[in-house]
Amino acid sequence: MRQPFTPRTERAFLGKYRPKIDGRDKARGAALYADDIARERSFPGMLYAKVLRSPYPHARILSLDASEAEKTPGVKAVLTYKDPMIASLKKTNAGWTDGVDTVSFRKMMWGTFRDRCVLGDYACWAGDEVGLALAAESELIAEEALALVRVEWEVLPFVLDPIEAMKPGAPPVHPDIAANNVFPADPFGGGDVFVDKGDVDEGFRRADLVVEGRSVYHNATQNSLDNWCCLVEWVGDSLTVWSNSYATDQTRMHISQMLGLPIHKVRAVSSFVGGQFGRGDTGDQPFFLFTALLAKKAGRPVKFRHTRRESFHDSRQPAIYEAKVGVMRDGTIRAMHCKSVGNAGAYADHTMFALKYAPKEITEVALAHVSDVRFESFGVYTNKLPACMMRGVGNSQFNLIFGLMIDLVAERLGMDPLELCVKNFGHEWESLPDRSLERVLEEGARRIGWKEKRHLPGRGPAFDGVKKRGVGFSCHPAWHAEWQEVRRGKVQVGITLNPDCTVMLKAPSVETGNGSNTCNVLGCAEALGFLDVRVEDIHWSATVDSDQGMKDCVQTDSAVSYLQSEVMAQAARELKDRLRETAAPVFGLEPGELEIEGGRVFPAASPEKGMKVKDLLGSGDLAPISVLMSRSPLAEKTGVPYFANFAEVEVDTGTGRVETLKLVVVNDCGTVMYASGAEAQQVGGQCIGLGEALTEEIIYDRATGIPLNFNWIDYHIPTMADMPDIEPVLLEVWKGGGEYGACGIGEGTVTCTPRAILNAIYNAVGARIDEIPVTPDKILRALGKA
Amino acid sequence: MLGLATVPSQDVTAARSRAIRIRINGVWRDFTVGADLPAPTTLAYLLREKLGLTGLKVSCDEGACGACTVLRDGKAVLSCMVLAVEADGHDILTIEGLPDDDPVVEAFARQCEPGYGTALQCGYCTPGFVMAARALLDENPSPTPAQIKEALSGNICRCGCYSAIAQAVLHASEAIAARGRAR
Repeated sequence: MRQPFTPRTERAFLGKYRPKIDGRDKARGAALYADDIARERSFPGMLYAKVLRSPYPHARILSLDASEAEKTPGVKAVLTYKDPMIASLKKTNAGWTDGVDTVSFRKMMWGTFRDRCVLGDYACWAGDEVGLALAAESELIAEEALALVRVEWEVLPFVLDPIEAMKPGAPPVHPDIAANNVFPADPFGGGDVFVDKGDVDEGFRRADLVVEGRSVYHNATQNSLDNWCCLVEWVGDSLTVWSNSYATDQTRMHISQMLGLPIHKVRAVSSFVGGQFGRGDTGDQPFFLFTALLAKKAGRPVKFRHTRRESFHDSRQPAIYEAKVGVMRDGTIRAMHCKSVGNAGAYADHTMFALKYAPKEITEVALAHVSDVRFESFGVYTNKLPACMMRGVGNSQFNLIFGLMIDLVAERLGMDPLELCVKNFGHEWESLPDRSLERVLEEGARRIGWKEKRHLPGRGPAFDGVKKRGVGFSCHPAWHAEWQEVRRGKVQVGITLNPDCTVMLKAPSVETGNGSNTCNVLGCAEALGFLDVRVEDIHWSATVDSDQGMKDCVQTDSAVSYLQSEVMAQAARELKDRLRETAAPVFGLEPGELEIEGGRVFPAASPEKGMKVKDLLGSGDLAPISVLMSRSPLAEKTGVPYFANFAEVEVDTGTGRVETLKLVVVNDCGTVMYASGAEAQQVGGQCIGLGEALTEEIIYDRATGIPLNFNWIDYHIPTMADMPDIEPVLLEVWKGGGEYGACGIGEGTVTCTPRAILNAIYNAVGARIDEIPVTPDKILRALGKA
Repeated sequence: MLGLATVPSQDVTAARSRAIRIRINGVWRDFTVGADLPAPTTLAYLLREKLGLTGLKVSCDEGACGACTVLRDGKAVLSCMVLAVEADGHDILTIEGLPDDDPVVEAFARQCEPGYGTALQCGYCTPGFVMAARALLDENPSPTPAQIKEALSGNICRCGCYSAIAQAVLHASEAIAARGRAR
């Protein structure tokens, strides 16, 4: 039995270890995902769509002959780039929003970078959807017809490396937006220098010591098992889209705006989603549009699903960081300068969010006490697959340099890096040391055995003659407190109390696996404590349907674990008032004279004269009592909690193989909403974190620009055999505003893993590898053996 | 096990019709391979699309992830790598065919003890893991952690619930032993 977490405040439902509410349905295969609902048996007459993909990293269609494909028996609709339905579509972007809010075409976040054509004639990466889409009676027929399309390509020179892409004469990817491939300044991200606090040059002059470092983050990809798919059906001039989008309200808005349909003519439905992890940015993807247009043309429902290989269609953004830190002898960090180049790949999407917005947030909440800070970033187009969100956006890339600089500076000063962090990092509203950071680091150090296991780099004992062990850590401020969610707009929930005192909960939020549906049901039970409601008395729906007329709380920022529960707490208070009003005439008292507790309503002055709420409701008109609440997140700045990962590794200096022996994952949650779910996120995140650190990378053939490993044989995702012992540690030190004052943790569980492992490798062998993934060849090179 | 070969279209249309019988979850089913069931149809496609047995998932469709695992004559197989015609005359068990109180399903659903998290998050890989675990426990009712790791390392869980999955299999093993004692 592992050490369980102890809640700061004991609650009836929240903060417990218990099974997931959908555990049984998922374990017996009864949970229905988009690909299960939208199948031949459910939609007789359904067609399958396939899209033409560019075989070249950079090319233009000179001519296209689809006549053979059109003649293929079973092909029911063909659309090409010349078709007016397609050619009239506006140029768009897949980064309309960062997922927290619903936005229109005009208000999209990255409107400066409208670089995507829907089925245009211009391909920007090997795999880009261009030129033609068709729908046929079966996927086999669709594939065969696609192979009959004859295309004459103008093959253009390509560039994969962002540094090469910035040089004069490099092939421009989107010359109308970025003549030299370097992104222009934009209203949201800002200029190249986007943080310039104090005088960084003067800071370095005054510092006792200046340390420099570099880190390179390659592109891992999300790899949700549930490949992205959609099915579109038209009835008259109304369209329904079933999909595994994680944002139904934004899906509806995207389709409405791009196809020129009034919002009420578009219905977007999502059910269970088999993993999200940031894929496809916010879902404003062209495939929804061409599937809808094929369905319209064919007059039949059309399904489009990506194959697994096609699902390698976006990645974490690769980034090169260089940093310089000026520090005083006592360990006070005086100045910090970071410069980064992000490889956006073929389309901009959220590049500037990763490069600028996320690091800028960190300067406010962690580097507030460093007097001189300058950050500059360059987003660069290349002919790789588009890159952006993946369990966080830019945070992991920034942590790779941040944790390196902490390790480098501490080593030069002869100081414990944990001490260096506590001495310097904190948010802008409080004095140092930050209590959350202190506790997170103390707990992590204790559990990994920091003092006992850490030694001078490379100076530890050898095991089996050639194996060396080491420990390392990295820490990061969380970015999921409620005040950081204010851009999200209204969070909506509905609670309906039935006459038998059972509850219909409306808390629309697509269940992508992170357990927010369990959090919501537990939050509802907690809020309705005065009714003595049990979890099994609450009905929740696994289907999010835009026809409900409510905005779904999108699964970004890992914040759905608490945002809707916070609103439920308020909705429950209003429900209580409504019940008092219902009871007042029955008791012949004013509503304010009544109290409700333990499922009973009674006069506050004489509690023994009460009755069961169930009896009260059952004796009336049997109309359910409904409360609908729509509220913005609280904007009060309450500081931020911290999280950290600690790693112990064993490096085989003969083969260069790294084995991770143990990971300790520590999160200050404010309030733990659902302990088993939170620990599942902490343990589970390490599959991505460890994969990114050691094995996961999309590999391109440099001669042709074609990606080589779009499959799970050559792209290695850690399986059970690869995983170390993982110890999750939940803390409640910081507290945010509102009823619970929780924060999201899911994205952050991944952020520090690569850097913690890299620092542990350095501790083990005394040589630094600052490019991930750390494959054996890199270890052997660093040890001078290759 | 055979890989799914790419069959040229003329062979598909020219495929002679052939009757096959597969025992699926205890019931013999007859199919005619031909126009309605092209020869390259995988067992996974037949089960999901034609019979509506959607518990198994097709994710990689090339034998790399284990999400489509079913039992053939009691052994775990990847149904995306088995042609429907190869199942002719065999006994196929999908997750829908497990009894309501199956101890492996129960253990996966209920896993929540401190320190491991839950055995499933998004749940997409779960039926594959359950069937792989079912096959393991049928063969070896008391596996060691190392044996569990070896048996389940062909399955990918991107949510990363591996340590809780291993715990669930241990708990299922205990439950099976307890039921055995109770009999």
